[in-house]
Amino acid sequence: MSAEEKDPLDALLDRRGPAPPPDDIDRVVWRRIALLQRKEARPGLWPTLDAWFSRWSVATLFLVSCALIGLFMAELRVSQQERERNAQLTRSYLVLINPLLQAPGARPTP
Amino acid sequence: MKRTLILLLLGLAVGTGSYRLQLHFRATPESASLDHHLAWMKAELNVSDEQLARLRELHEASEPQMRLLASKVIQLQGELAAFEQTRRAAGEVDFMELGRFVEIRRNVYQECLVSTRQLVVASAALMTPAQRRHYLALVAPSMAAEVSPPM
Repeated sequence: MSAEEKDPLDALLDRRGPAPPPDDIDRVVWRRIALLQRKEARPGLWPTLDAWFSRWSVATLFLVSCALIGLFMAELRVSQQERERNAQLTRSYLVLINPLLQAPGARPTP
Repeated sequence: MKRTLILLLLGLAVGTGSYRLQLHFRATPESASLDHHLAWMKAELNVSDEQLARLRELHEASEPQMRLLASKVIQLQGELAAFEQTRRAAGEVDFMELGRFVEIRRNVYQECLVSTRQLVVASAALMTPAQRRHYLALVAPSMAAEVSPPM
């Protein structure tokens, strides 16, 4: 295409002006501002914990919960140990009543 | 901030402390004595004090013989290992000696079988049907070991 020939699109592009603002621009702008303010106002984890633990009731509840969790975990461990001990006692009882099992290399498998 | 940190550390200490204390107070001593086995039977089979006293008598009465038989079994295993070592070293076996050994071992195993069965049957006779079923299920592996002795 030579320089003298004019592209039909040029006329259209010359007529093109800036895009009109959307109808609800106010609402969009205010929503963005509110979102930014909310982000700035949201405290981090540590300040939240600080705020919660400043109440003595929450602090007490936290300590009691820690103690209860400790007790619960210990109970789980104790019940597991008791199961293992019962299995061990079963095996040793079988050895006690059967001299053949007292010899090395012979072990019951209950 | 400092208060929160102290509280978190205190919570960790309280949790760990309660865990360790509970484990300490609930721990049971490890032992394989007859008393522990009887206590285990009482808990496992739910036997009465009277049944437990009879079970104790039975087990205490059989204990010396069981020990004697166990020492015989261990001695026989040693002899068998010696036979195997001689066979590997010299490449020959004294069949007369081996035959004598097999005969003795058969008798000892038979004694073990009879002793264990007597104890199990006598113990089971003291129990209720439900206890007996549970007891026999528990000692079944021991009886199976008698059926197929090593070698």
